[in-house]
Amino acid sequence: MKKKIGVIGLGNPLRNDDAIGLLLLDYLHQNKKKLSKKIDFIDGGTSGMNLLHLLENYDTVLLLDAVDFKGTPGEIKKFTIDEINNQKIQLFLSTHEPDFLAVFALLKELDKGPTHLVIFGIQPKDVSHGMRLSQEINQMLPKLQKKILKEIQSMTV
Amino acid sequence: MSKDFSVHVEHVTRVEGHGNIILDVKNGKIEKLQWSVVEAPRFFEAMLRGQQYNELRPITSRICGICSIGHSLASLKATEDALDIKITNQTATLRRLAIHAENMQSHILHIGYLVAPDLFGAGSVFSMLGKHTDTVLKIVKLHRLANEMSDLICGRTIHPIRLVVGGFSMQPTEKQLIQLKKRLLEAQDLTQELAHIILNVADTLPSFTRETEYIGLTSDEEYSFYDGDIASTDTGKHPKYRDYKEIMQEYIVPHSTAKYAKHARDSYMVGALARFNLNSRQLHPVAQEIAALFKLKAINYNPYMNTIAQLVEFSHNIQDSIYIIDTLIDQGIKQEKPVKPEKKAGRGVGVVEVPRGILVHDYTLNSQGYCTKANCIIPTNQNHANIQKDMEKLVPEIINRPEKEIELTLEMLVRAYDPCISCSTHYLDVTFK
Repeated sequence: MKKKIGVIGLGNPLRNDDAIGLLLLDYLHQNKKKLSKKIDFIDGGTSGMNLLHLLENYDTVLLLDAVDFKGTPGEIKKFTIDEINNQKIQLFLSTHEPDFLAVFALLKELDKGPTHLVIFGIQPKDVSHGMRLSQEINQMLPKLQKKILKEIQSMTV
Repeated sequence: MSKDFSVHVEHVTRVEGHGNIILDVKNGKIEKLQWSVVEAPRFFEAMLRGQQYNELRPITSRICGICSIGHSLASLKATEDALDIKITNQTATLRRLAIHAENMQSHILHIGYLVAPDLFGAGSVFSMLGKHTDTVLKIVKLHRLANEMSDLICGRTIHPIRLVVGGFSMQPTEKQLIQLKKRLLEAQDLTQELAHIILNVADTLPSFTRETEYIGLTSDEEYSFYDGDIASTDTGKHPKYRDYKEIMQEYIVPHSTAKYAKHARDSYMVGALARFNLNSRQLHPVAQEIAALFKLKAINYNPYMNTIAQLVEFSHNIQDSIYIIDTLIDQGIKQEKPVKPEKKAGRGVGVVEVPRGILVHDYTLNSQGYCTKANCIIPTNQNHANIQKDMEKLVPEIINRPEKEIELTLEMLVRAYDPCISCSTHYLDVTFK
C-alpha cells in the first residue's frame, strides 16, 4: 500500500541557515519532472509532533534538515538514525520540545511509520534570528541543490 | 522541619529556548525561587519591518510550529484592520473552523503526550506504551483527525498556505466537509472515552489554588476564539482592542530574557482556563458535561486545571465544528476570491485566541503597503509572571514533602501552562557513533 516516498524539508526560515532544508525542498519541487513520480514533497517546518501522521503515509522518508554535526558550513552528511549517538528520548516539558528523532521513535514503538529513513544533514553556520543565509551557505547553495537532486534521483529511481 | 535542598530543573538539551526552575532551600527557608526563561530575544517584529502587507502572514506563520494558524489569523486580522478590508461571512466562518482545528491539534498534543504521562505516573508517552497502549492509540487517533482537519481547511497540517489577506486562496468542497463531519462525530465518542480515562487518574492533579486575574476574548455571540472583546475577570470588558497595551502591560525582569506582563494585579493568566473562567456559559452542552464530570466551575483558581479546561475546549471545538459545517453546507460553499484592499496605508490590530491564550499582532503600513512598525504579544510571555507567583505560593505549602515530589509538582505546574518556550528553531544537534 505505502509505496510513496516522502521527501521532507525541516527548518525555520526565520532562523537564517536553519532554512536550508526548506530551500533544498523547494528546489527539488521545482525540478520534480527530473524525479520519480512516487515522491511527495513536504514542508515540515518546525512542526514537531504534528509530523507524526504525515510519516505514517510513507515506507521511505528522505529528510532534509540543518544538522549541527560540527562539520564545515555547507557540508552534507547522509546518515540513518542508527548511526547517531543521541537517540535518547527527551522528557518533554513543552509541546515545542520534541524533535524529529522523538517523533520517529514514537512511530516505531507504535509499529507505524516509515521502514526507511535517511537524513541529509547540512551543517549550518548561523542559526540566529534573521531571514538571510550566511555567506558560506549562500555561496554553496547552487552546489548543494545539484548534489541533493543527484542523490535523490539515484535513491528513488 | 528544617532542611537544605535545591531543585534545579534545567532544559539544556536544545540550544535555546529553555525554561528553568530554580529552588534553593536553606534550614527549611526558601532562599531562591525562580521561573526563568532563557530565550534568545525574538526578532520577529524587526523581521516584519520592510515587508509588504501580503508577506506578513507567511512570515508570522513561521514564528511557531504549533500555533501557525493562530499567528496567521492574528496577522491577517491586523493587516485587514489596517487596510479596511471587510471579509465575507464565509471567510469568517471558515477561519473559525481553522482555529478549532489548531486548538484541537495543540490541546490533544498537550493532554495526551505531555500531561497524561504525569497522570499515569509514567516518565513520558513512551513509558505509557504497554500498559496504556489503548489510551495512547486513542490520543493518536484524535491527533490525526485534528491534523487532517488543519490540512483540509488550511492546505497544510502546519504552516498554512490557504489563509490569505482578504479570504482564502482555496475553499474545501462540500464533499470534503461532509467527510470531515463524519470523522468529527466519531471523535465525539472517542473524546468522551478519553475524558473518562483521564477522570480515573485526575486525582493526581494537585489541588493547589491561587486567586489571580484571567484575561481573554469574550463575546455575546459565542465562546470566543476568532473574535470578541478583550476581557478580564477582574475588570470586565475592554472593547477598545487597539488599546490592548492598557491591558497587557509588558515589562522586563532581570532573570529572564522573555518579557513578563501584568494588568490589575501582579500577574494574570491566559489560555484555556482563562477562557473557561470568562466564557464557560457559552460552551456547548456536551463540553459542559465534561466540565461537570471534573467538577470544573468558573471561576476556578487551580492552574493545574488548565489541562482539564483544554479537554473541555477540545470537546467544544468538535461540537462547534460540526455546527459550522452544517451551516456552511446549508448555505452552500462558494468558491470566493479574496477581497482586495482599496488602500495601502494604516495601522491595524488583530486579536485572536490561540491554544495558549490571547495573541495580538499590531502593524503599521506605509502608503506603499510596507510594514514600518510591528508588535506581537505572545500568550506564553503573558503567563510567565503568573507561573512565578504560583510557585511562590505553592512551594511553602509543599516544602516538607520529598524533594523529588517537589520537583515533579513544580514541573507539572509549568507543564499545565503548556509554555511555548522553544518553538523557533528546529535543527538537530548530533554526534556520530
